[in-house]
Amino acid sequence: MTNPFDHPEGRFQVLLNGQGQHSLWPVFAEVPAGWTVVHPAGSRDACLAYVETHWTDLRPTAPALASSPASEGTRSA
Amino acid sequence: MTCTIDALFARRAAAYPDRIAVHGDDGRLTYAELDAQAGRLAHLLAESGVRPGDVVAVCAGRSAQSIVMLLAVLKAGAAYLGLDSKQPAARRDLILRDASVRVVLADKSSATGLGGEDRTVIVPGEEQDAARERPPARPTLGSGSDSDSDRTAYVAYTSGSTGVPKGVCIPHRAVLRLVVGADFISMDSTDTFLHFAPVAFDASTLEIWGALLNGGTLAVAPSGDLSLTELLRFVRDERISVMWLTAGLFHRAVDQGLTDLPHLRHLLAGGDALSVAHVNRAVAALPHTAVTNGYGPTENTTFTTTHTMREPVDSATVPIGRPVSGTGVLVLDDRLRPVPDGEPGELYATGEGLAHGYLDRPGITAERFVANPYADVPGRRMYRTGDLVRRQADGSLEFIGRGDGQVKIRGFRIETGEVVAALTSLPGVSRAEVVAQRRQSGDRRLIAYVVGAEGAKPSALEIRRRLTEILPDYAVPSLVRTVDELPLTANGKVDRAALERRDTAERPEVNADHRAPEGHLETAVAGMWSDHLGFDGIGADDDFFELGGHSLMAVAIIAELHREFGVEISPIDFYLDPSPAGLARSVEKAGVTP
Repeated sequence: MTNPFDHPEGRFQVLLNGQGQHSLWPVFAEVPAGWTVVHPAGSRDACLAYVETHWTDLRPTAPALASSPASEGTRSA
Repeated sequence: MTCTIDALFARRAAAYPDRIAVHGDDGRLTYAELDAQAGRLAHLLAESGVRPGDVVAVCAGRSAQSIVMLLAVLKAGAAYLGLDSKQPAARRDLILRDASVRVVLADKSSATGLGGEDRTVIVPGEEQDAARERPPARPTLGSGSDSDSDRTAYVAYTSGSTGVPKGVCIPHRAVLRLVVGADFISMDSTDTFLHFAPVAFDASTLEIWGALLNGGTLAVAPSGDLSLTELLRFVRDERISVMWLTAGLFHRAVDQGLTDLPHLRHLLAGGDALSVAHVNRAVAALPHTAVTNGYGPTENTTFTTTHTMREPVDSATVPIGRPVSGTGVLVLDDRLRPVPDGEPGELYATGEGLAHGYLDRPGITAERFVANPYADVPGRRMYRTGDLVRRQADGSLEFIGRGDGQVKIRGFRIETGEVVAALTSLPGVSRAEVVAQRRQSGDRRLIAYVVGAEGAKPSALEIRRRLTEILPDYAVPSLVRTVDELPLTANGKVDRAALERRDTAERPEVNADHRAPEGHLETAVAGMWSDHLGFDGIGADDDFFELGGHSLMAVAIIAELHREFGVEISPIDFYLDPSPAGLARSVEKAGVTP
């Protein structure tokens, strides 16, 4: 069984969620709820190149759970 | 609950100030002392330029002080990166540069060679005395914000399939989901956890934070190389109640005898497949201990699924069980559809344990941490483990093998995990590993490495014959090598890379033209020679001594022929006609039908 994300010849797109996280996504599968297509169908390499240039900070942009507005700055010396 | 490790620890320290938090070779610290020392060191880190979100490397032998360092890094809002001091300097340097580490905390014995351009090494023992004379600690630092559970707590480097290590970024939330209110193990303030795993290895997450976030005690095993006997004595003397062992160490510990451990409440093992026989012996030897098979990739924070046993297992493999609390699993096919129970599929992990991804590697992150089409909450991700599993009738998962353990031999697809499963189902076989070695010609061959069950010295020929009964011929390894032990990596996993390098010899040029063995006797003898000489492709007319055989090997082969065919071949007969064809004739002369 070859994983559908590993097909070097496969057709993929790039998805983005509300936390700024990116996902490679095979075109044969429906786009899951909460994700939008930010790079249209293309080769695997083209999709990964898009991710490399557009996703600069892996940390989620909005906390997944309830948050308070405490900023990091208040804790630095 | 939204919280950080350091904030929760501060609460524990306030609740149990006088309880022993950690003890090691270098002394013991109460919760209050650990909290205070880590707080001071956190200030020192901040004064050295460490900012929230930074990565601080920690390189130290096992000690109470190493725990102070880890907690200090978290209190400073940074993420710790455990560095193995025994790693080659070049690899350590590669990791330090990859993670853009500017500050390294080290103990005296590990501090050399860690510095560099734009990189400071702090050895706390000395510097902290100076820090202590500074004005009182600012209470804001280290009190920990409760809201920042998305902050990265640690970075764990794993070797990628490409050979370039990748830093897995684990958020605080993922650690809390493992050790606070977990359903796979009860942990409380009466527990004493063994700390033996290197901080570079994520089993240490369970050990350290399992103890310190539940008000328990962390018993740090003596530093340096410890024999198994010394380790088990420590576990007994320190009344350890929760212990994690890598699969390799677990098997050895069972072989040596797990007895007289009345305080051990919970024994967890994993990191690699556990042997049913060993688990059953452990369950029998430790009637008061829950034995847990812990499964999970680093990317989903130590454990994804666990299977706890109090009774012997009667299945062919030890199940990996069910997802731990805060984690979900999906078993999907190659079209991302759920597979029916009982069918093999690839395991995907979901939930609170997921890493943010690989440090500064968005591309690989986006191909491994992907959109979850089955999430209850829109926009969530799942991590594809690359492992093949099967959901059994009772809902627990059975591990089949690596999805990427798939190889092609002579054009056929083979899962090496399947061959391993076939090998370990044979009587007399305790453990096995199969590698698909690439030869100079570019094609691959399967080599099996087999460890015999207690006292048994399985015959490679016999193993190969039995495999032909259960596997297609292309999946039967070209070589079956019996070994005393499988080599282990520093993290206690079977070192497949070492195995792939082990038997690289190919048939040398010999006088005889190559003639493929014919008939089952010639084939059997040629196969037997391969297993002893370490290469395949032996011709029926090849000369044993030209191939590199020697007299001791000849004696072993004669003994194996006796076991297999019940015939006595004299060494003289062997020496007079030392080819597979000649030996086959001798066997035939002794009364075996060709």
